[in-house]
Amino acid sequence: MKDLRVKISGTSGQGIISSGDILTYACARKGYYVTTYRAFPSEIRGDGKCYYNLRISEEKALTVSPETDILIALDDMTVFEGLNQLASDGVVIYDTDVIKDEINVSEGVILYGIPITTIATEVSVAQARNMVALGVAVELAKNLNLEEQIVKDIERRYKAKPQTVIDSNIKAFKAGVEFAREKLTRKDKLLTAQMKTSGQKLIMSGNEAIGLAAIAAGCRFFAGYPITPATEIMEWLAKELPKFGGKMMQCEDEIAAINYALGASFAGVKSMTATSGPGFSLMQEAIGLASMAELPVVIVDVQRCGPSTGVPTKTEQSDLGAALYGSHGDAAKIVLAPINVEDCFYQTINAFNFAEEYQVPVILLSDASLGPRRECVDLIDIQKLVIKNRLKPQLSEGCEYNRYEDTETGISPISTPGDKFGAYVATGLEHTEYNAPTPKPEVHKQMTEKRFRKLETAAGEFSKAHSFGDSDAKIGIISWGSTCGAVLEAIKMAQADGKKVEALYPRTLYPLPTEWIKNFIREKDVIIVIENNYNAQFKSTIVERCLHLHQGVQMIEMLKYDGTPFTPEEIYDKFCQVQKNYDETQRLATNKISRF
Amino acid sequence: MAEADVNQYKGKVKPSWCPGCGNYSVITALRRAMATLNYVPDETSIISGIGCSSRFPFFMSTYGFHTIHGRALPVAIGHKLANPKQNVIALGGDGDGLSIGGNHFIHAGRKNPNITYIMMDNEIYALTKGQCSPTSRIGTTTKCNPYAWTADKINPVLLALSFNVSFVARSYSGDIKQLEELITLGLQHKGFSFIHVISPCVQYNKVTSFDRIKELVNPIPEEHSTEDRLDAMRLAFDNDTLYTGLFYSIDKPTYEERVDKVIEKAKATVPNGATVEEIMKQFT
Repeated sequence: MKDLRVKISGTSGQGIISSGDILTYACARKGYYVTTYRAFPSEIRGDGKCYYNLRISEEKALTVSPETDILIALDDMTVFEGLNQLASDGVVIYDTDVIKDEINVSEGVILYGIPITTIATEVSVAQARNMVALGVAVELAKNLNLEEQIVKDIERRYKAKPQTVIDSNIKAFKAGVEFAREKLTRKDKLLTAQMKTSGQKLIMSGNEAIGLAAIAAGCRFFAGYPITPATEIMEWLAKELPKFGGKMMQCEDEIAAINYALGASFAGVKSMTATSGPGFSLMQEAIGLASMAELPVVIVDVQRCGPSTGVPTKTEQSDLGAALYGSHGDAAKIVLAPINVEDCFYQTINAFNFAEEYQVPVILLSDASLGPRRECVDLIDIQKLVIKNRLKPQLSEGCEYNRYEDTETGISPISTPGDKFGAYVATGLEHTEYNAPTPKPEVHKQMTEKRFRKLETAAGEFSKAHSFGDSDAKIGIISWGSTCGAVLEAIKMAQADGKKVEALYPRTLYPLPTEWIKNFIREKDVIIVIENNYNAQFKSTIVERCLHLHQGVQMIEMLKYDGTPFTPEEIYDKFCQVQKNYDETQRLATNKISRF
Repeated sequence: MAEADVNQYKGKVKPSWCPGCGNYSVITALRRAMATLNYVPDETSIISGIGCSSRFPFFMSTYGFHTIHGRALPVAIGHKLANPKQNVIALGGDGDGLSIGGNHFIHAGRKNPNITYIMMDNEIYALTKGQCSPTSRIGTTTKCNPYAWTADKINPVLLALSFNVSFVARSYSGDIKQLEELITLGLQHKGFSFIHVISPCVQYNKVTSFDRIKELVNPIPEEHSTEDRLDAMRLAFDNDTLYTGLFYSIDKPTYEERVDKVIEKAKATVPNGATVEEIMKQFT
């Protein structure tokens, strides 16, 4: 068995997330790769459904699979839905105390109806039913040897709670293990399931990766305002940043947050804010200020469904337009999009480096599927990271310091308040090199060009676009951000079927790496642009910026805007359909030629 | 006080306010106060928003940040937190601080950052050539409200007192001596010091003229205790008399001090000092 796909489902308040987290950590600590996807309603404890998908694997998994090997259902509402995604030889663990209806399943599926609530109540409390269910699942997949590790992870998760809480959870978990061991007549595939482990790895969420990278990059000031699904970044930094003498400020709103960050950046401290769509909209004016005053700042947007309040807990890639074109005026800035949790770390390092080196706002586009998702990350060597700082001026008595000096690179040395002989006024008004506000046409033209020249200088440094798959494929995929895992899985499916496809993932979305995209498009006849939004925002950008480079290519969009991430199957199906049409066109073209 | 001491704070750009503008008194008073307290220009940052009075930083030799409309306070607070050694002065007009940036004013009071905030109140939007502001009086007519102005005015001193701003004073541009004294006191105050300055606009506000304000102002009675918040509020409530002077001044922990306590607590959890490698262990 190469991987084991688990789905825990129930209603919010049943401990779905806790048990999912515990299983995730235990698997990673045991040496398996694991990747996750959580879905939960925005109501704190309503009747909303809650899911936790995990994929435990020998090799690094790129995405969770919609198919499930083990379904753990704690309520009657989600069990029937979960069945639709069950593998033909899947296993269902459900609570007979709650689910009284008969469950009809196809042949091959194994049902384990267990009085989970009764067991939980006997050894502990009814609320511990999630632990009983987890115990059953761990015993079913006993060759993965997770039992001891789970106990350790229960202790670790609840270490701040009274010992009685830890004990009752462990008791319930063990009761689940024992019940499965003694009472179940086994006939499922998990009986023989085995998986290789590989060494130590890190397990973290996209949001945590961003927080960790910020500290590693030298960020010592964070200002934010609570908003789903970005709050986790603020919470994590609130805990860790002060240990380094850094400051995490919770502000009165997002406008204050980004302006706090700009004030701190003006003081010479690397600064960041993190938000989601509504907050990102509020920050747009200050993003323009950062661009005009040439102050480094990193803005993380963990996108969710919009517009307006939208669906706060569900994912979308629909803030691309706002990131690229949001702030009014011609604002020089950089937009980055990480493709997985590990990349969240490295793109955040890049974000700070670019912000500091080029004195621009850098926007990092994560989303609701990437932010809270936990994934295994290979060990990070902090000593090997390249960390950049802003260019400081040489200051001396009587020196003529021009803060916005028009240089070849566009980068002007920046002093820090407190520096002797370096006083200047940062401003959102157009200004001369010598820092005097002016409405003169020639100055506005010159300084606009100067600010954008920094991006030309930066272009050489942008991470190369990732390309995956067969380079001689005639059908290509261009996408960005969190869709990457599903696309890579789809490519594997295509390869297994003897079909060729290549995917391109630019991580710098502004300025767009048109050269790479051009070279990629040139070799392709058909391009599928895949993204989680209605308006084909990335495709429009590519068409606008790159299509003139290769007019012959056919651009097809694949869009999803229901709040859920793409699945590999959806992408593969679309690819097959495109391939079929392409083959048909080729056949007709060949026939035509032969007729002449 | 030597003229040179005051002149060291003059910026390269000369003030561009209209002749007779109340803000000239404020800039003179601030420079004098800074000279009295031996402020070093490079160790001082003046942060403003947008409006006539917000042009202020360009006319000074200190560091400055002329930000966006209404955001002087959050930028100033972030700046102070990031470098508590820097003297930070925020300033701007009534529209900037009470309308578009009103929310930040309230929260600055709660946080008590060790900065001074000077609000130059001309009861009008002057940079956009005269529209009613949150402090415009009933009876003011402008191109935007040619028939009548339809909202009550905000009382900035009362607002500050209600949010327990730790230093609240009022002065007016006609009394440069008092202005200088109050700004000096404000700069010396440990915590958020708010100085409300009635600073008439000679161009766009004919209702609130120097002459009219002169008739209304009166010094705060000597028997007033500056620690008595209710009495300060009672004085601020008075619509017939515009009391000037120090309404309220109390000692409470500054934002920076409170944040430092948080840092101390966090650092205590890592006796050997924090490293990225160490915090990364939580992910293994």
